Amino acid sequence: MAPHDNRAWFLLLPALTLLGVVGALPLLAVFNYGFHDIFTLKDVHWVGVDWFADILGSDRFVASLGRSLLFSTLALGIQVPLGIAVAMLLLGQGKGAVWGLMLVALPLVVPWNMIPMLWLGLINSDSGLLGPGLAAIGFDWKFTGWHTWALILAVDTWHWLGLVVVLAYAGLSAIPDAYRQAAAIDGASRWAVFRHIELPKIAGALAIVFLLRFVDSFMIYTEAFAINAGGPSDATRFLSLELGEEIKGFSYGQAAARATLYFLIVLAVVWAFVAATREREA
Amino acid sequence: MMRRLALLALAGFILLPLVQAVILSFTVTLPDVELEQGTVGLMNYSAVLADSTLRAAMVNSGIYVVLNVVFCITLALPAAYALARFRFLGDRHFLLVILVFRVTPPVVLSLPIFILFSQFGLVNSPVGIAFVHCLFNLPVAIWILESFIRAVPRELDETAFLDGHSGPSFFFYHLIPAIAPGIGVAAFFCFIFSWVEVVFARILTVTGGKPITMALQAMFGFQTDIGMVMAMTCLSLVPGVVMIWFVRNHLARGFSLRA
Repeated sequence: MAPHDNRAWFLLLPALTLLGVVGALPLLAVFNYGFHDIFTLKDVHWVGVDWFADILGSDRFVASLGRSLLFSTLALGIQVPLGIAVAMLLLGQGKGAVWGLMLVALPLVVPWNMIPMLWLGLINSDSGLLGPGLAAIGFDWKFTGWHTWALILAVDTWHWLGLVVVLAYAGLSAIPDAYRQAAAIDGASRWAVFRHIELPKIAGALAIVFLLRFVDSFMIYTEAFAINAGGPSDATRFLSLELGEEIKGFSYGQAAARATLYFLIVLAVVWAFVAATREREA
Repeated sequence: MMRRLALLALAGFILLPLVQAVILSFTVTLPDVELEQGTVGLMNYSAVLADSTLRAAMVNSGIYVVLNVVFCITLALPAAYALARFRFLGDRHFLLVILVFRVTPPVVLSLPIFILFSQFGLVNSPVGIAFVHCLFNLPVAIWILESFIRAVPRELDETAFLDGHSGPSFFFYHLIPAIAPGIGVAAFFCFIFSWVEVVFARILTVTGGKPITMALQAMFGFQTDIGMVMAMTCLSLVPGVVMIWFVRNHLARGFSLRA
């Protein structure tokens, strides 16, 4: 058991100070802007909760929230199981696993704004490697809503699968062989081994994957905007695209109120998740 | 057999877009006075390297990423040590607070960050980007280093103190060598989240100091030379691939949630 010593706070102080400046101060500023109408930085009017009431009362907000939640659910539903499966596949490869890990980590180092460009190049119907084939089977990501969804999900999965695989592999490879041998002697099924030995071991790593992937997919902007800018006819208009529009339109007060709302939604989900994990541990 | 096929499918899925980019980067994609469209060669790469704005962008990206990694590791090391070795009032709250900062969407903070940083003269400079990227990288660095320090037996600390090492000399001569792979992994994750980030990089570089991501963005216009864009993209992958190679054997240590 680690000794109790409150002087340890001195070691946290430098990190906490920096996070205070780049994190807490701007957050407070955003909350404050959300209650004002901002023409210029010198011409600011108090409007109370008007922005919040406007946003929460609009049908568009509810629709975008629904789309973003659905997108996050699909992204997590695909990437987490797929990532675990790939990690298990790699685990059976012995020394070759390291090459697999390097492979899936590759997309993580591609500049974000180029990821949609790589994919648009790949599916370009004239020059792309997959373009002619996709056009032949009638894949039309520009004008068919669910095709755009499929494309954005594929791009997002391509981008982030590596993170899930690396963290799941880390957890799985830390399990001593003796555990699996014991389970084999007991005649445990593959599923039972996963459910009772492997899953509990990777739960900590999966928790972080879950949160990071939730937040990033919930606030997806770069890929969604570059691929179809929310179209066709708003089918991929996610929460972040609405915020982007307001910032580009210099509607800062409203944008700040919206940003505050998004932050509160994210915070609520994170809090619920952490509370649930703690309860399970206790 | 099934496993082989699955692995091949995975490799295809990951590599296809990259292969496409590499092919385009060696192809002339805009009609040119001398070269015909579709000619294959190194001209896109020489065009990128001849462009002084693009060269400057590579330098800017290099500066801010190195600074960011240095800030994150220096500040995360003492914090991670404290969390791994002591219990104290509010330790779990601290973990929760850094988790909240890690998951705050950057776009939420972009406006006040711009106003705040312009008052300190940190707009249009790589230093500003290096600072603001600590928002999401510092928590990650703390998580990773904490798990590596926790894995080092406490006896290391005790023998070092008995040998008369304390404070800084303990950190530099005992702790850091013992967790060197952890520092590598933390640096790798800070690097990948920072090198490719676009929201803060855009808001903080209005007229100058543009990193690679923004230089790439600026190459899109009325007539985009997509071959040149892809050449620049491929070059931007090189440092990342080198980083992956260096940490390949330690990548699988990862980090996990303790909040």
